[in-house]
Parts: sequence; C-alpha cells; structure tokens
Amino acid sequence: MNSIAVHADSVRASLGNVEILHGISLSIQAGRWTSIVGPNGAGKSTLLKVLAGLLPHTGTVTLLGQPMASLPGRLRAQRMAWLGQNESSADDLTVFDVAMLGRLPHQPWLAAPSTADHVAVEQALKATQAWDWRARSLGQLSGGERQRVLLARALAVQAQVLLMDEPLANLDPPHQADWLDIVRALVDKGTTVVSVLHEVTMALQADAVVVMAGGQVQHHGPSHHPDTHSAVEQVFDERISIHSVDDQWVVLPRLRMHGSAVATVSFL
Amino acid sequence: MNTHFRTALDAMLLGAISLLGAMVALPAHALQMTDDRGVVVTFAQPPQRIVSLLPSLTETVCELGQCQRLVGVDRYSNFPASVRALPQMGGGLDPSIEAIVALKPDVVLMATSARASERLQALGIKVVALEPKTHADVRRVLEKVGQLLGVDDAQRVWRVIDAGVMAAAQSVPAAARGKRVYFEVNSAPYAAGEASFIGETLSRLGARNIVPASLGPFPQLNPEYVVRANPDLIMVGDSNYIGLEQRPGWSGMRALRERRLCVFTNEESDMLVRPGPRMAEGARIMARCLADKAAARAAGGAP
Amino acid sequence: MNHPRVNFLGLGLLILAVVLTLLGASVGSTGFDNLLRAADDPVALQIVWDIRLPRTLGAWLAGALLGLAGAVAQGLFRNPLADPFLLGSASGASLGVALSLVLFGVSPFATQWLTRLGLTGGAFAGAVLGVLLTLLLAKGVQHTLRLLLAGVIVGVVLGAAKELIMLARPDFLQSMQAFMLGSTGYVGWNACLIMLLAWLVCMAAAWALSPVLDGLALGEATAASLGLPLARLRAALVAVLALATGTAVAQTGLIAFVGLAAPHLVRSVVKTSHGRLIVLSSLMGGALLMAADILARWVLAPLELPVGILTAVLGGSYLLWLMHRRVTAGGML
Repeated sequence: MNSIAVHADSVRASLGNVEILHGISLSIQAGRWTSIVGPNGAGKSTLLKVLAGLLPHTGTVTLLGQPMASLPGRLRAQRMAWLGQNESSADDLTVFDVAMLGRLPHQPWLAAPSTADHVAVEQALKATQAWDWRARSLGQLSGGERQRVLLARALAVQAQVLLMDEPLANLDPPHQADWLDIVRALVDKGTTVVSVLHEVTMALQADAVVVMAGGQVQHHGPSHHPDTHSAVEQVFDERISIHSVDDQWVVLPRLRMHGSAVATVSFL
Repeated sequence: MNTHFRTALDAMLLGAISLLGAMVALPAHALQMTDDRGVVVTFAQPPQRIVSLLPSLTETVCELGQCQRLVGVDRYSNFPASVRALPQMGGGLDPSIEAIVALKPDVVLMATSARASERLQALGIKVVALEPKTHADVRRVLEKVGQLLGVDDAQRVWRVIDAGVMAAAQSVPAAARGKRVYFEVNSAPYAAGEASFIGETLSRLGARNIVPASLGPFPQLNPEYVVRANPDLIMVGDSNYIGLEQRPGWSGMRALRERRLCVFTNEESDMLVRPGPRMAEGARIMARCLADKAAARAAGGAP
Repeated sequence: MNHPRVNFLGLGLLILAVVLTLLGASVGSTGFDNLLRAADDPVALQIVWDIRLPRTLGAWLAGALLGLAGAVAQGLFRNPLADPFLLGSASGASLGVALSLVLFGVSPFATQWLTRLGLTGGAFAGAVLGVLLTLLLAKGVQHTLRLLLAGVIVGVVLGAAKELIMLARPDFLQSMQAFMLGSTGYVGWNACLIMLLAWLVCMAAAWALSPVLDGLALGEATAASLGLPLARLRAALVAVLALATGTAVAQTGLIAFVGLAAPHLVRSVVKTSHGRLIVLSSLMGGALLMAADILARWVLAPLELPVGILTAVLGGSYLLWLMHRRVTAGGML
C-alpha cells in the first residue's frame, strides 16, 4: 500500500520561453489522495499536466513503476485519467455520449460500446447525479451540471490514477460535498487521486498536501501535520490561518486591520 | 473705269479675300470636338503628343499615318510593332496616372468606361473618350480621330476598309453562305452573339449566328445550348481551346465530328475582336475559315 | 438518443436528392420537352443522358464532397466559421487553373500534358500543393492556430500570384471568373466517376476518424489524455480535407458557402456526434448544390447563372431566417 503511483524526477517545464517548473522531484503515494496547493502562478496546473504526460518537459516521470516516455499512449490512458479545466466545445453531444468518450482508451478503434463500457458510464453518471438527464445535450446544461458530466467522463475511464485540475469549478456546496464523497470512495478502493485545488479548506481534506510556490515544491507532507499547515500559511504570505473545527481543518482569511478599521472595511 | 475706282475695288477684293481666308484658316487652329461621353473638348491646335489607352484607338491613330505622335500606350496595344517600344501606361481600365502626366500629353484617348478620365481632367489633361463597338462605330471613330489629328484622310481609309470587308464577303463561296456559326470567346463559355462586333462581321459575311441578338452581345451560355443548336461551324481562340473536345456531349456534335472547327491564334483573335482599322483583315480571316470549313464537302482528314 | 431524428433527416435528404435528380434531368436550355422526346430524338436523348444527368449527379457529388469537407474542417478547427477552403486549397486551385490556361500552347510538351490533364488536373494539383505548402509553413498539424494562420498566408500569396497572371493575360479573365464562381457545365460521366470514388474514400476515412473529432471537442489536452495519437490523426483529417476539396474544386470550380453552410443547416435540425454530422452534412451539401445548380440553369435559360451566387443566396437566406427566428424567440444567438 505504500508503493509510489507517480514519480517525478528533476522535472523542468517551460511555457514559451519562460521556465515554469524549476527542477521538481516528487513521489505521489498510491491509494491516497494528494492535493497540490499554492498561490496563483506557482505552477500547479503545469505540474499536474506534466505528471499526466501532456506537456513536454526535461527529467523523467514514472507511472506505476514505468517511465511514461516508454509507455504507449493507449496504456497510459487506461491507467491514468485526467480532468482539465473546462476547454470543451462539445455542446452538441449528449451527456451520455460525453461520458462514453471516457471509455475510448478501453475500446478497440471504432468498436461499438461493450457491456462493460455501458456499466462504467452508468456508474460514473450515477455517482455524479447526472444519470437522469443523460439524453440532454451538453450545451443545455448550467456550469455546475456541465462540470459534473465532465467529472463523470473522467470517472468512466476507471483508471488507477486520477488527476484533476480545479474539479470544483462552478460546483455548489452540496455537489462539492458529493465530490468529496466520490474521492473518498475511490481512494478506499485503491485509486490514487491527485488534485489541484485553490480552495485550501477542501485541499486539507486530502491525505497528503504538496505545497508549491515559484515553480518549486516547498513542502510535501500529511495534511493534518502542523509543519504542513505552517508551510501552507507561509506560502500564502500569512494571509490565512488554519484552524480545527469539528475534527476538520478550516482555513480562515487573516485580515490585516482590526478594531475601528474593521467597521470601515465592512461598510465598504 | 478710272484708276481710283480700280484701286478701291482691288482693296475691297483683297479685304474680302483676307476675311474669307481668315474665316477658313481659324477653324484649322481652334478645334472643338464632342467625344462619346458628350463632353466638348477644345484644342488650340492639333495635338502632337498623344497617349492612347485602347488598342483599337492606337491602331486608328497609326492607320491615319500619325503613329509618330504617340508618346505612350496601354499594355494591351500591340499593333503595329512599333508601338510596343513605347512606354506603357498600364491597363486601359487601371492606367498609371503619374506615368501619363509625366509624359505631358496634349490629349489622352481612352474608352468611355474608364474612371481615370475624371482624374486626368482634374489634373488639367485633355481627355477624348471614344469606344467603338460596331462597324458603324469604326467609321465614326475614324472620322473623329481624323478630325482631332487635323488629318482629312479618314474618309479614304474607311472606304478601303469597307471595300476590304465587302471583298471578304464576296470571297465566301455560295455553299458556305447561311451556315450557322458558334463563336466562342472564352471557355466559361461566353459566346459572341449576333449583337456583338464579331457577330456583325459574321453577318456581313453571310453567316448565321446560333446566338440571336436577343441574348445580348456576350452571353454566358449553358453548354447544352450549343449541343442543341448543332452549329455547322465552330470558331474559337487558340488560348481558349483547351478541353473543348472533352466537354460532355460535345464530341457527338457534327461540327466536331467533321472537324469543322477554326482555331485562331492570338494575333488573329486580336484582329477579330477589336473594332478597329484591321476589321477588314479580321473579316478576311473569318471568310477564309468559312470557305475552308463550312463548305458542303465533309473534311475527310483535311486540317 | 437523437438517432430517430438523425435517420429521419438522412432519409429525407436522400429522397430530396432523387427528386432533384429527376428535376435536373428535365431542366436546361430547352426545357422539359427534351425528356419527353428522348425516346425518338437522338439529340434530345444525348442532351438528357450525356449532359444533363451527369451534370445533376455531378452537382450532388461535388456538394457532398464540400459538405463533408466543411464538417471535417469545423470539427478539426473547433470553429463554426471554418470552411473547407481554409488551408490554401482554393487559392492553389485557382493558381493551377491560371497556369494551365497560360501555359497551354506555349510549347508542344506543355500542350500535350495539359490536354491530358486538362484544367481539372491543373486545379486538383494546385489545390493539393496549396495544402502541402500550408502544412510546410505551419511545420505540421500540431498547432491549430498556426495551421489557420499559415492557410490564410498561403491563400493571400497564391491569390496575388494568380492576379499577376491575370493582369498579364486579361483574355483569360472571364474564364477565370467562371472558375471562381463555379459551374457544373462541363461535368461528364468521367468526372462523376472520379468524384464518386473520392467521396467513398473520404467518407470512409472521415467516419473512421470521427471519434478524434469528438475527443477534440472536449479539448486538446483531454483528447491527448484519452490516448488519441493526435498528430497522426490530425494529419489524416487534413488529407481527407485536401482530397475532398481538391476533387470538388477541380470538377466544378470554387463554389462558396456549401462547405460552410451544410454543417450549420444540419445542426439546426439535429444535434449529434461528429460521425453522423459528417454523413448528414455530406447529404445536405449534395442537396443544396443540386438545387442551386437547377436554379442556375432554369432562371435565365438558355443563359446560365454562376452557381456559386445561388448557393450563397439559398444557404445564406436560410441561415438568416434561422438567426432571425432564434433572436425573436429570445434565445441566445
């Protein structure tokens, strides 16, 4: 249970001429949920894309023991699923068809969907509560509903490793809670989940936290550990404070001003 | 008669003759003419430096023996060979105003359909717009240009041309008269109808056009129309000949089967198409075509 | 799902094609009586069989090729304004035709080759070379934006080259204009056969590649994460685009708007995945061009209107009406 799902070794990546990741070495434990947090521009999404094998980089990335460079694309797609920030223009596809696209890595080219495919899609859509409107087209849905369908697409891959970039975008609190349940259920079954979240409170629900700033990993440790908490507070310039409420960790903003100044601020 | 009276009479006679002479001499210097736009253009004396922007007008000027007065032409004027050495001002419809002005012409001859005339006039250059389109136009333009150049040879030149056309008409054998001709201008296909200049020449030669005047001078036809009309003779320019025989349904046409087809070179096409002084030669070319190909005997292998 | 509606539309378009074929065989410079006289009059029979029928079927095939190419282009570039002429095929074909016209008669060698290839060969070669030039300029198919930009540049440059040729040889101006506005005038049975073969190949390939287009609709990164070999498949799609467009343009000239409008017309009736969209776009394009061609021959018989004008009028009017309906219904455009 303590094997490494994804391992990065001295990874550097650039976007255009600017180097974003300055030599990152990182091991993501299998069967756990790891969250990547950090301020804007820290390189979190870039790191996730590199781990997913979607960006050119120097250094090596290993997936489940095998170097990604030598892994055929199809096998990689079967073992690792990726949910990116919404860039889709698939308005004409139905919810069901979108979810079924997640089964592409498992389907022989141009084959009709098998029973296993149908079962996987049904499970995924039911998990995100999108099953009832599987015949609606994506363009007819609200932002949050869309996000749930795209999540179902990623779930339908039934991969051992699931990478998610800002999966809570547009989701209202009940569905954010649903997402937490889904992730917990996946981890219990042995799936490795890595998420980039800017909602730090949510991120602290994970098993492990990777704290990033300026293209480098500042800290990587269990989410309940005080060292991790101080690393998180530090990387956000001490503008947040982490408190324990009902056995859960909660992040509160730390206001600079107190007393009469607070009244002025609240008036604004 | 006494000498005083005789001197007075001589003086009056001299005066009258000078007056008459002056009246005759003046118009030769102050010329007024109306061009095809209806604009009246005045010249103190006949223009010596001429720019021509229409091939048929270039040829007209040279035909009247005044080629040496040309200082510039458009890029499409190519006859006689001497004009090719002249500076080219661009196309007839899009001439280089600057180049024209730099030549300091006394007059610019151009088609009525060109926009540059306003610009040139605004710059103080005299423009005479003439656009011959019919046989009658050729005569009229000849006379106008003759008037402009101060040359009274125009009538004689016209008589020669007209005689040439009539001779060409007479050279067409009786067997070839009344034959139905399809003249293709380009491969769109655009045909030359009865109402066009080419059509007029054909009519004078005694041939019939499969495209009646009601369709306009240059209609774009449905290729099926030509097949249906089944012309006795096809005339086409060399550059537009490509693919003519491969057109669907055309290989069965009598004119193609019996090789009653005249393909004109570019030089020949120029003469056929331009309403200008070489129309007699154009008529001769067409007449030769009619005589060779349209006669009743089938061409068994003859070119 | 939407499958019943999809099938309904497909069937409807096929029936429309058959009806239009019959109409097309009856219409021309001389009217319906040709059809009736066909039995006795050999010229009438020749007109109907050798000229009208291949023209009408050719119009369907060319429209089908353009509709297919339009759907592929819009899926490949993820842009509803994409049309099949985007990658330099139109300007390449025009330049090819211009060069063929000019070089014919220049030398016996040129004349011999050009008689064999004809203007259609020149147009096809030009279209394919235009696309290759675009690919060269964009250094491959990886970056969609770079591909689009390269296509625009190639279009402008080759177009300018063609204009220079036209300036030097104005006697070809009207032939070129006829090509630019499109015509089915010279489509015979050979041309129909060529277009049919191209259509079958392109349809099979596009159908096989359609999952890529669906994947791409989710975003490039997502499509890559699903294990799709994007570079190879994109290159294959560009090849389909080049073949379909080149073949259609070579036979019928540049007919605007069919490739752009056909997918939109299909989408206004039914929403579906790319595979079925491509098939329906093809059928829709065929019907559209066929209808336009019949009108082009009928309205001013025996004169002929350029068919490109009518496709724009027909397709454009329908889309305008559609937009108007959507706006007045209060929906988003």
